[in-house]
Amino acid sequence: MNSGRKKIQNLIIALVLLAIVIIIIIPVLYAIVTSFKLEKDIIGPDPSFFPHQISLDNYKYIFEHSELYLKYYLNSTIITIFGVLITIILSTMAGYAFARLPFKGRDTILGFILFIVTFPLALLLVPIYIMEYEMGLLNTNLGLILPNVTTVLPFSIFIMRGVFRSIPHELEEASEIDGAGVFTTWWKVMLPIASNGVSVVMIFSFYNIWGEYILAKTLATQASAMPLTIGLTLLRGEGWSYGILGGVIFLALIPPVVIFMIYQRQLVEGITKGALKG
Amino acid sequence: MAFVFPAFIFVFAFMIYPLITSFYYSFTKYNYAYDDHPVYCGIANYLDAFKDKTFLLTIKNTFTFASMYFVLVIATGFFIALLLFYFKGRSGTFRTMIFLPTVVPISLAAILFNWIFAEHFGLLNYFIGSVLGLPGLTRGWLTNRTSAMLAVIVVTIWNTLGFQTILFLSGIQSVPSDILEAAKIDGAGAFQTIFRIILPSLRETFVITGIWAILTGLKVFVQPSVMTGGAPGNSTRVMYMHIYDTAFVNYNMGYASALGFILSAIILCFSLLTMKMNKGKEE
Repeated sequence: MNSGRKKIQNLIIALVLLAIVIIIIIPVLYAIVTSFKLEKDIIGPDPSFFPHQISLDNYKYIFEHSELYLKYYLNSTIITIFGVLITIILSTMAGYAFARLPFKGRDTILGFILFIVTFPLALLLVPIYIMEYEMGLLNTNLGLILPNVTTVLPFSIFIMRGVFRSIPHELEEASEIDGAGVFTTWWKVMLPIASNGVSVVMIFSFYNIWGEYILAKTLATQASAMPLTIGLTLLRGEGWSYGILGGVIFLALIPPVVIFMIYQRQLVEGITKGALKG
Repeated sequence: MAFVFPAFIFVFAFMIYPLITSFYYSFTKYNYAYDDHPVYCGIANYLDAFKDKTFLLTIKNTFTFASMYFVLVIATGFFIALLLFYFKGRSGTFRTMIFLPTVVPISLAAILFNWIFAEHFGLLNYFIGSVLGLPGLTRGWLTNRTSAMLAVIVVTIWNTLGFQTILFLSGIQSVPSDILEAAKIDGAGAFQTIFRIILPSLRETFVITGIWAILTGLKVFVQPSVMTGGAPGNSTRVMYMHIYDTAFVNYNMGYASALGFILSAIILCFSLLTMKMNKGKEE
């Protein structure tokens, strides 16, 4: 009797969760589904959620006619790959120093950097814009890579510092007894153990840089220099059909969703654990 | 030191130096289009801000947005986390699906929802008109003052709900299970357990989710910028957008910097307030 009631309770919870998931997923699903529709099925007299007939016309159009879209895609890819790589290198080095190497004012500097992050990016934009104008970095990929790295760097350093602190001291000592220098110890002993932390930094910086909007809107004003996040907001004005819009959104979502699928466990559990500690 | 130096160069060039420079600009008249140099003007920019009707309106809009977003995202996030916690079975798939929108860049989410809220051929009007059979309720969701603001809030919740839910879930999971067991033996119902035991022990979680929601709410910019551009009639124009336009549409760099520092001060006040309120309760 009691267990029967529990089963019904659980079923109700499952149904509510299912309804929530459906509502959450529908917007993305709608874009994907629409991208495979024919134009006449989207704005025709008989609209429906699912396509009457699956068509690849929209994708054909994107690859044949939209050089600009492919350029945005390329820019996003270059900015993200280099941005993430530089972030990983800098944050593993600095994180190690903040965790293990004693130097003057270590904790003050770290606290100060984390404090600066709370300021809205809007404040930094004007000087960064003027600086990049004078250095000729506006409308270049490099001009976006550098500030992007900086915005994700403090938190990445913080993550790596935590990871390095949790590694036992004995390992370093053993390496130093073997005559290895600080750099070799960091590279050969510490980094391989910290690989989990490195992937957290990679995921975190990837999402932030791939989805970054404000820096790109300010520093890339010419179409040829724009990443996807900005470019797509302009494409909307081109009077494209919804099918093509669905297609370009779907293609733009593939990298973050694929990364999410690969790392979802680490990601969700990482947040869970981090929150428990915090 | 060699390990920190490369990172420090980045932080200095793109954070510390710009911050100091814009602090200086905030005390100057500096129109980037006409002026060669910034001209010192004392606190004139800060005084002007409080006479700037558009700026005051954007403060009001930002607060409307932030408070509604705050209440809704915390309430739904906590509710879904409870469902996931009480669900007996494989909740992994649910968790993944609920978290998924978090990885969608906010500007893409805004484009996506623009289309859903569109007057013609939008999904929402299709659903209301054709599925529910209530064509009288369809409208241009983004061209009406109230519903435009609501639309911006919906997108933001959609994009951030997964993150809040996971934070709440981890908070609930850290409630010691023997306390929950004891409550069960004492015959406490689900509601009693939630309000008497789970809620009071989530203080730290509420600080994290709360500050995070406040920051998201007060710094809102991308969603209204992509979806409405502040329209209709400035009803979705937020502080951040006003700062941005002052700097990069009107090139009024000095004034924009001052507005930016006012926004920073507001954010700082609310973050400290949240921390303090939760500390106060503990004593």
